[in-house]
Amino acid sequence: MQATHHTAEVILGLDPAWYAGTLFVITYLLIVTERLNRAIISLTAACLMILGGVLTQEAAFEGVDFNTLGLLTGMMVIVGITKNSGIFQYLAIWSAKRVNADPWGILVMLMIVTAVLSALLDNVTTVLLIAPVTLLITDSLKLSPYPFLFGEIFASNIGGTATLIGDPPNIMIGSALGLSFNDFLINLTPIVLVILPLTILPIYLIWGRKLYARPEHRQQVMNYRELDAIKDVVLLKQSLFVLALVITGFIMAHDINMQPATIAMFGAAVLLVLTNLAKSAEEQSKQVHRSFCEVEWTTIFFFIGLFIVVYGVETTGLLEMLAQRVLDWTGGDMSVTAIAILWVSAVASAIIDNIPFVATMIPLIKSMAGTFGGAENLMPLWWSLALGSCLGGNGSLIGASANLIVAGFAERSGQPIRFLPFMLMAFPLMLGSIAVSTIYVYLRYL
Amino acid sequence: MTAKSVMDPHPCILNPSDTIKTAAGYIMEHRYRNLPVVSDDGVFLGVFGVNCLLRLVLPKALFIDKGLDNVGFIHESLHDLHDRLREVENEPISVCMRQDAPTVSPDTPLVETLLLLYQQRTSIPVVVQGSGKLMGMISYFDVGEKILSA
Repeated sequence: MQATHHTAEVILGLDPAWYAGTLFVITYLLIVTERLNRAIISLTAACLMILGGVLTQEAAFEGVDFNTLGLLTGMMVIVGITKNSGIFQYLAIWSAKRVNADPWGILVMLMIVTAVLSALLDNVTTVLLIAPVTLLITDSLKLSPYPFLFGEIFASNIGGTATLIGDPPNIMIGSALGLSFNDFLINLTPIVLVILPLTILPIYLIWGRKLYARPEHRQQVMNYRELDAIKDVVLLKQSLFVLALVITGFIMAHDINMQPATIAMFGAAVLLVLTNLAKSAEEQSKQVHRSFCEVEWTTIFFFIGLFIVVYGVETTGLLEMLAQRVLDWTGGDMSVTAIAILWVSAVASAIIDNIPFVATMIPLIKSMAGTFGGAENLMPLWWSLALGSCLGGNGSLIGASANLIVAGFAERSGQPIRFLPFMLMAFPLMLGSIAVSTIYVYLRYL
Repeated sequence: MTAKSVMDPHPCILNPSDTIKTAAGYIMEHRYRNLPVVSDDGVFLGVFGVNCLLRLVLPKALFIDKGLDNVGFIHESLHDLHDRLREVENEPISVCMRQDAPTVSPDTPLVETLLLLYQQRTSIPVVVQGSGKLMGMISYFDVGEKILSA
């Protein structure tokens, strides 16, 4: 997203910066209060940004990052089709049986499976498919699902931090800067591999060491036949082939000069071709409709509106001013700025949606390039933003969409995860992961 | 014609304090699909029937909305199912009866009543609006007999 300033003629003779700034603050407040669906809020605000004269329609479209949208949409279609094969349930059951249905072993295995799947797919789909199996397993073991679900929430957000496609903030940062899948793999995956076991440790001390299941209940889990969870072997093969193709594409993106959105969309198209080839026209039409329904359009429209709102604010020069304030406060010191971004992003992402936060921070950090001697010197700030905004989602139940999905399952199973008790455990744990990230950022980049 | 004209005014009823074991025995012995649960002062509280029993013998995780869509990998014996029922058999039926069961009022038109009976595929309680008193039950067989003898 490059800001192309144009002369704004705002309605009623208002100062464009004031108009855009006020609209931006109101949009944020409305998103936080959750009185209206966030997609409705962002789309309304985007239209007001154009109607108010801050942006023309053409300028608004320039602000939309279609690479982010394409990557998200393509991956949602691929995951939406893949999940019908039953592979997620297979992995969850397989992992539980590998540890002989030992409760602590299952908790660790489910955390690892969730983290790996969240790194390669989206977090929401991962927990949407792993949480019900977790509830079934804990039901069989006659154990409270709370520690298991708590661990999965943490694993999904930590795992999502590891890759370009793991979490929307990474997708946005990667797209805005043209970072590759490998850049994230080299810079974020190592610290994720440290944070995940460090998170498992306190979970063991709090709950893990007391987990016990009677042999007959463990046998019930051992009786599950994971192969029976695979509903469609052909679909499984097709999905795994396309997923492997897409991941390879991401890894080789720079060499083949391709953007992530093209790779994800091509993967979605190939999977749609494979799954529809042998079907009649009518069946194809139904199948394609079902596949496109798997796209979370609410999130996509939320992104579109948000990109326009942030771009509107950016064109008025308000974010540049704000960046200057931040730099005045940090004294223009790279270490202080990076660590401040890491911690502020983490706390902010625990309280508010990390998507609008990151959308705002991207142009703000970009405008710091002059102070730090060019855009190429800003990398510590970008990795700090990625770590803070992704890991910060663990700080509260509303910190990430995946958290709310798991909480929803817990509620429907009659064992709700309450906001405050969760936060009392989760927030310090999240801060611990940020402390580890601070050491990492400091030692590696500063 | 209204719901009142086709209902059984003296249905078998359960008390909310009856245990699951007692209610299950009664339901199985008389082959009832659903029985109304009524308080000591005659207020309708819900229904308890074979669906409630099935829910009790199956893993809870199966009934979570938008949860598991494939349960073919779960292999349990009759013994496992019975064990699950045994764990809760001494609890009162009030903890697992269906409280949102659809009801009709005594003056609900006959066709509307029969359509509900068709849609629900189980006996429908007739309840006085306001007081919540149970007036009777409408079953397929009560309705069938009345239609055939008309």
